[in-house]
Amino acid sequence: MPELVLNGLVKTFGQTRALSGAALSLRGGEVLALMGENGAGKSTLIRILAGLEVPDAGTILLDGTPLGLTTPAEAEAAGLRFLHQEMQIVPGLSVAENMHLARPYPSRYGLVRWRALAASAMAALDRLGVTHIDPRRDMGALGPGDQMLARIAATLVETKGSEPWAYVMDEPTAALTGAEAQRLFAAIETLKAAGKAILYVSHRMDEVLRLSDRVTVLRDGAHVSTLPIAQTSRDQIIRDMTGRDFSNLFPPVAAPVTETPVLTVQDLAAGPLQGVSFTLAAGEVLGIAGLSGSGRNVLLRALIGAVPREGTVVLNGQSPGATPAEGWAAGLAYVPRERRAEGLMLQRPLAETIALPHLAALSQTGFVKARKIAAMVRHFAAEVRLKAEGGHQPVAELSGGNQQKILFARALAGAAKVLLLDEPTRGVDVGAKFDIYATIRALAAKGAGVVMVSSDLPELIGLCDRIAILHQGRLKRIIPAAGLTEAALLEHCYEKEA
Amino acid sequence: MARILRHYGTLFGMVAIVVVFWVLLPDTFMTARNWLNITQQLSMLTVVAVAMTVVMVIGDFDLSVGSMASLAGVFAAVLFTLGWPVWAAVVAALALGLLGGVINGVLVSMIGILPFVATLATLTMYSGAAFIVSGGKTIFGRDIPQSFGDFAKSGLPLGTLADKPIVLPWLTVLALGIAALIAVVLELTTYGRRLYAIGGNAEAARLAGVKVAFLRLTAYAFTGVGAAAAGLMYASRVASANPTQGEGLMLNAIAAVFLGMTVTRHGQPRVLATLAGVLVLGVMDNGLTQLKVDSYVRQVLVGLIILLAVSISALGRRAILRR
Repeated sequence: MPELVLNGLVKTFGQTRALSGAALSLRGGEVLALMGENGAGKSTLIRILAGLEVPDAGTILLDGTPLGLTTPAEAEAAGLRFLHQEMQIVPGLSVAENMHLARPYPSRYGLVRWRALAASAMAALDRLGVTHIDPRRDMGALGPGDQMLARIAATLVETKGSEPWAYVMDEPTAALTGAEAQRLFAAIETLKAAGKAILYVSHRMDEVLRLSDRVTVLRDGAHVSTLPIAQTSRDQIIRDMTGRDFSNLFPPVAAPVTETPVLTVQDLAAGPLQGVSFTLAAGEVLGIAGLSGSGRNVLLRALIGAVPREGTVVLNGQSPGATPAEGWAAGLAYVPRERRAEGLMLQRPLAETIALPHLAALSQTGFVKARKIAAMVRHFAAEVRLKAEGGHQPVAELSGGNQQKILFARALAGAAKVLLLDEPTRGVDVGAKFDIYATIRALAAKGAGVVMVSSDLPELIGLCDRIAILHQGRLKRIIPAAGLTEAALLEHCYEKEA
Repeated sequence: MARILRHYGTLFGMVAIVVVFWVLLPDTFMTARNWLNITQQLSMLTVVAVAMTVVMVIGDFDLSVGSMASLAGVFAAVLFTLGWPVWAAVVAALALGLLGGVINGVLVSMIGILPFVATLATLTMYSGAAFIVSGGKTIFGRDIPQSFGDFAKSGLPLGTLADKPIVLPWLTVLALGIAALIAVVLELTTYGRRLYAIGGNAEAARLAGVKVAFLRLTAYAFTGVGAAAAGLMYASRVASANPTQGEGLMLNAIAAVFLGMTVTRHGQPRVLATLAGVLVLGVMDNGLTQLKVDSYVRQVLVGLIILLAVSISALGRRAILRR
């Protein structure tokens, strides 16, 4: 079995030291989890493996011989393959073509042999144990989970050249539903059984505990610990990652839920959703759980008015309108699911993102009051514990957790009556999660209502007062979160599907 | 070093260009009269370029400005021949510009056509309309009212130099006024900040409650009116109007905004930066003409300057992105 050993890696960018003594060893036939908060140096380490960065100091050995990783081509030749959370796919081309993008298509006289192309793709999918994907389908029509599987299978397409032996998966389940993730885990087991190594980077503790053989933790660019999974625990890993103790990740429920309804939804229909009705009380945190295709992703977009909807929505006795502009004005606040695509202006100063929905309130006769904006940004940045140089710093320079906090600061700034949170801690590290949970509970304690969609079941159970189960576009039931187990919640989500 | 070059590359380049011309043309280049002349020559381009800045702020562009400038000029001239008073013909021509801009805006934001395709189509339409309106001829001489032509010939007296009066041309004053107005709108008003938000991330802006479709439409109204104003200024300057007078304005305006974007901190279009871009193009043109450089060679040199500035900026950005 091959073994890749990285030791004493140092990398600095200008003033910032991204890595100072990072290390890991990756062996064939095992899953190694790489854990660390945002900013711990995971991304830099992966970029070094991918040949995108060259370390200032440190050694990289493959089976004891020094390995040069100065270009992506060298990383590929060394048998390393990378799967990022942002998918690199070409929608409009078939799955088979997507799987052959980096290599020659089977052809005769310069013409593509379509059947051989499909067969080659099919064989690769087979090697991964995936049989439900038709390689002739449009890649863009596949769900994110199947796209991920197709991309893993693409690395198994038989070619001359080097056979990959190690896979680096960066937050592979971030966009996946539970069922899709299960398929990915099965594929990972298949790879492992075939002697491949997997470097698995994820913030999701339950996945890491379940999948990996060993766990390496980085903190502040340095190696903290590498332990076999049997010799560590969830709490141990969190302590290593943060240097702090988070035995109570979820804040206590401060105030009892009131009886005052703040948001009433009746017979809502939008996309796959049909006849959805519920009432949200002031001070309540209502979780939304459901599988992919349950309409989970559409509900909040319909409430804020980003997609057309039918049915009645009443916010404090009034309709919040049918567009995002009216929704914000009526007292809704929205934290979208895809923070980069739907929430942030990445290249712009972060103050602009925070102030945007509130510009009218921050202006006088059409002119913006710069000082008022600066004061507001300072206040709410502190409230969500944003770590940034100041309002002028471009969003792109911040970590994922801090980017998410920007959207929370923005949602808080309008003194909203109801917050709509779509996957509020997706791709966010433990420290930032802790702060975000505290923020959500503090809001509820002040009398705001919160509707929160999440695929993170422990988060739903730990944070919400009640959880609504969506199944195939319908709201099946609303259950109290207290005392619920993950298994029980998952069973609710799957009901009648078998 | 890359950072400094990226942020101030265009400014350094501009100073260098000025110094070169100063040395090569010691007697004529660095004179008040020449500079006033440059600003007057540039006034039309200035107006179109700052208006173009508005649509480029939201990440779009408008190819139809040149033919709209031609159309507005001949439209006003034809109204003159019909006996309309100067003010009424000017207002009508500006209204025509507004209409043309709104048509572009509807095509792009309501119907959802790519700006390139939509404004390319209206470019040809407005150009054709200019020929139809004018009958394909230049309108000049007695048809153009004296007062209309006089506007461009006079200006704000600044005093005398060597017994000759120094005058700040009204065209320059007008162009600077329009630039100042648009700068205030973009930088200081809620409206302007929302346009920048659309340029930063249109979907995020929509979900944050910005009325993206409507604001996008209004941005095109600026370019339409700006182009019409420039067409009128040109017609006043030459006391005539012909259906091709706006040629070249569109490419130069886009080039000026791009040049300006190389100076700004986040690489976004800003009015002051656009003015710097306009000045680079204008000074190059003026200096090279005085040096009797062949006009085709001039085009090549101007193109090279644009490529150089944008390349420096792109390389600088890549250096930052690599981090």
